[in-house]
Amino acid sequence: MARRSRARRRALAALTALAFACAARAAALDWPVAARVITGTFGEDRGDHFHNGIDIGGGSQPVHPVLDGEVVFRYDDGSDYTSLPRGLGSFIVLRHDPHIRTLYAHLQAGSLGPVRDRYAANDRIGVIGETGHANGPHLHFAVFDEEAGSTINPLEFLPPVPDHQAPVIRRLYARVGDRLVPLDNGSILKPGKTSIVADTYDLREDVAFRWPLAPLSATISLDGREVSRISFDSLQVEGGHMVAGAAGLTREQVWDPGELLICGTLDLKPGDSALRLSVRDLAGNEAVRAVSITVSP
Amino acid sequence: MSFPGRKKRPARVLFAAILFIVFYFLLFPYPLGKELVAHPRWAVAIPAAGAAAGAAAQALTATVASVPAPAAPASPAAGPAVSSWQLGDQFGFVQEDGTLLYTGRAPYRVALSSSGFVSYTRLGTDWILQDRTGRLVAAFTVSGYPLLSPDGGRVFSVKTDLSGLSELDRGGEVLWDRDFPTLITSISVEQDLALVGLLNGTLVLLDRSGAPVLEHAPGGSRVAVIAGDAASPDGSRIAAVCGIDPQYLVVLRRTDTGYQPESRERLPTAFRREVRMGFSPDSRWVFLEGAHGPGVYDPARRSMSWLNLPGPLAAAASARFGKVAAFASLDPGGVTLALEPPGGIAVGREYFSARQVFLGSIGGQLLAGWDGTLARIDVEEL
Repeated sequence: MARRSRARRRALAALTALAFACAARAAALDWPVAARVITGTFGEDRGDHFHNGIDIGGGSQPVHPVLDGEVVFRYDDGSDYTSLPRGLGSFIVLRHDPHIRTLYAHLQAGSLGPVRDRYAANDRIGVIGETGHANGPHLHFAVFDEEAGSTINPLEFLPPVPDHQAPVIRRLYARVGDRLVPLDNGSILKPGKTSIVADTYDLREDVAFRWPLAPLSATISLDGREVSRISFDSLQVEGGHMVAGAAGLTREQVWDPGELLICGTLDLKPGDSALRLSVRDLAGNEAVRAVSITVSP
Repeated sequence: MSFPGRKKRPARVLFAAILFIVFYFLLFPYPLGKELVAHPRWAVAIPAAGAAAGAAAQALTATVASVPAPAAPASPAAGPAVSSWQLGDQFGFVQEDGTLLYTGRAPYRVALSSSGFVSYTRLGTDWILQDRTGRLVAAFTVSGYPLLSPDGGRVFSVKTDLSGLSELDRGGEVLWDRDFPTLITSISVEQDLALVGLLNGTLVLLDRSGAPVLEHAPGGSRVAVIAGDAASPDGSRIAAVCGIDPQYLVVLRRTDTGYQPESRERLPTAFRREVRMGFSPDSRWVFLEGAHGPGVYDPARRSMSWLNLPGPLAAAASARFGKVAAFASLDPGGVTLALEPPGGIAVGREYFSARQVFLGSIGGQLLAGWDGTLARIDVEEL
């Protein structure tokens, strides 16, 4: 039942996303800032929640709507009344069609300007800031599909940015009880259900040092057959908890403490097997790690 | 002098009319309402408020010059009513006799209840729950920001991206955790209920275990959104300001079969931000922010009355155990304080120069704060 509901919502989200993407292209959807510096990606682990948007750095630059939009809700940090603490700091939510809404958060306090009802795509919403729960100035940008009840990876809509680097797979592990056992060629595992965990991340294109970003997807194959797939294309709520992608996995099922990705759980049978992990980013760059393992009672 | 053609009215007709009027008032006397007057009971300067208190506060304090000084500090253990207050980043607790129990300054923000507080930093994950004297009560390590129920009996963590809410026990363990498909726009907590308003125009009422007992999308507007919500102190009613074009006030009442719509009032507003709103202590009235001043709504009679104030509504509270509503608006020049019994005759209105204002209730009366001063204002029958 839940699976069918999830499939229906995902289909709805995909249709709406497609419609939005088409409309966006026709209306020349653009990035909300001039300097397209991605410092955080969709689906990352943020302690008690999935990151439901992208973070864009590039300093204190003006922020524009990605499309013409109507203001649905705004909050000017330190000025407006609030009944709850707002970690998004100063933010604005715009409505672009009956169901698609975009969020622009952590704007500089006071930069929102006078209250208004609508913004054209070339209007200035505010300026990138670090109000609310923000480590340094950045824009948190998110896309909500209110009909499907989904949050969608904004990079699916925005014009692509150059990305020539494949994600990195540093280590592959099997979780055995409380321990993480490194997986290399010839590793011996016991039969039964085993989680495969990877130290994997995508790379920021604009910096040389390690700044890990969540990849778009991770797929595990065993002996040439796909057995598990995680995809950060959308988030939705099931049973009161946010879940990621088609697999419908909670944050705890996706992220191991220490920013390790739980790529899937395998039901290992005795014998030799070929395990393959493929990690992709949105530009289609792929990293692969393949290991031969032996499952022995 | 007399005019031609005009007959003189017989004196006995005039006499009968006077007699009738006299008897009418003797037979059907209409009692005059007792006049309510507001008078300051005490005023106290907030320590370490510094120059911020300024001349403005002194000017208003001068108007209550005859007010006796607060009693000497006493143990907060039992007896006197205590209220929390907040002015900007300064907050604290005061007894009904004017004794300041605690005064602090939040490094970033503070979650306040009538029994304690959590003062927290912008990025910190460690919270300390302190009681109203500043004594440490509990410690938490949490990723979100704290929110306390009005009585302080419940501790919540609001996810920093406004996607969810969890409740914690005093040991820091998560009792329940709930995510929402879109942003939380407003929250109201009363006793066992937590009312959550969402960006998609849905109201979600959570019970003590975090389970949704109601999911209600009022609809009827071109743009769906919840711009404010309130649960009544006794849990008998919930209300929300919802939608844009048009914007509505909806009130739901608890029945044997759950919460059912009680009234729906079209509003002349189009707020695209959170609206300040709440219930009276007796759960009979809803107050809400309007374009030019607060509205007071009686859901049982479906009657709304609007008050005109010169600036945006900055604070609201009640006196005489909810019989008198107090509203304060803040404009660049100062504060307008208005006292009005819902549906009755205004008690009074005062304008004074200040940059901050706070209103609360203490011992059934009004606690007011502005810049560097706190004052108790009693509303009594003359």
